[in-house]
Amino acid sequence: MIERELTVANRLGLHARATARLVQLLSGYDVNATLTAKGREVNAKSIMGVMLLAAGTGTAVTLRVDGTDEAAAADAVCALFERRFDEDS
Amino acid sequence: MAVGILLVTHLGIGTALSAVAGRLLGPLPLAVEAFEIAYDADPDAVLPAASAALRRVDGGDGVLVLTDVYGATPANVAARLAHLGTPVRRVSALSLPMLLRVLNYPELPLDELPAVAAAGARNGVVHDDA
Repeated sequence: MIERELTVANRLGLHARATARLVQLLSGYDVNATLTAKGREVNAKSIMGVMLLAAGTGTAVTLRVDGTDEAAAADAVCALFERRFDEDS
Repeated sequence: MAVGILLVTHLGIGTALSAVAGRLLGPLPLAVEAFEIAYDADPDAVLPAASAALRRVDGGDGVLVLTDVYGATPANVAARLAHLGTPVRRVSALSLPMLLRVLNYPELPLDELPAVAAAGARNGVVHDDA
């Protein structure tokens, strides 16, 4: 199991399109993945699950991935967060 | 698996929901088509066009038909689509959370998608008093 601390840095936060990108990215990896923010843990492969975090910009979230692809999945998610979901130019 | 998704709705609803899903998800993993029914439409008259839409989205593994209001004309037309030979499962109370959740499980067979759709709609209702 890999755990990473991330910060939502894009201006719009984990809104619908960013969430969809995250979920689609993770769907390509054989892992169980969760995000925890504000005391709530959700399935990071579920669009509505991640949306329920209502995580705005600046929110600290904890990613946990567990499974055969966990290292690659964790790196890919970190890169997506660091790229601000390719939204802010 | 290549289940098709047919949205059978009142005017304006199905097209709008599928357009938003396309914007959020990019290319959709399943064939999605909207079939909207005018307010004063005669169910008998629209059935051939609805049937044609059903056949267009059927990739060979059946079609999940999502309708907006149970008991309304679109849902009644959808009920008749279930008797035309193509495997069809129907779920009402179509919403954006329902559609997004279905599209997040494109690998599932038709028989498992009604539960996925229903959970999507249920989980989308949040008492937002926080």
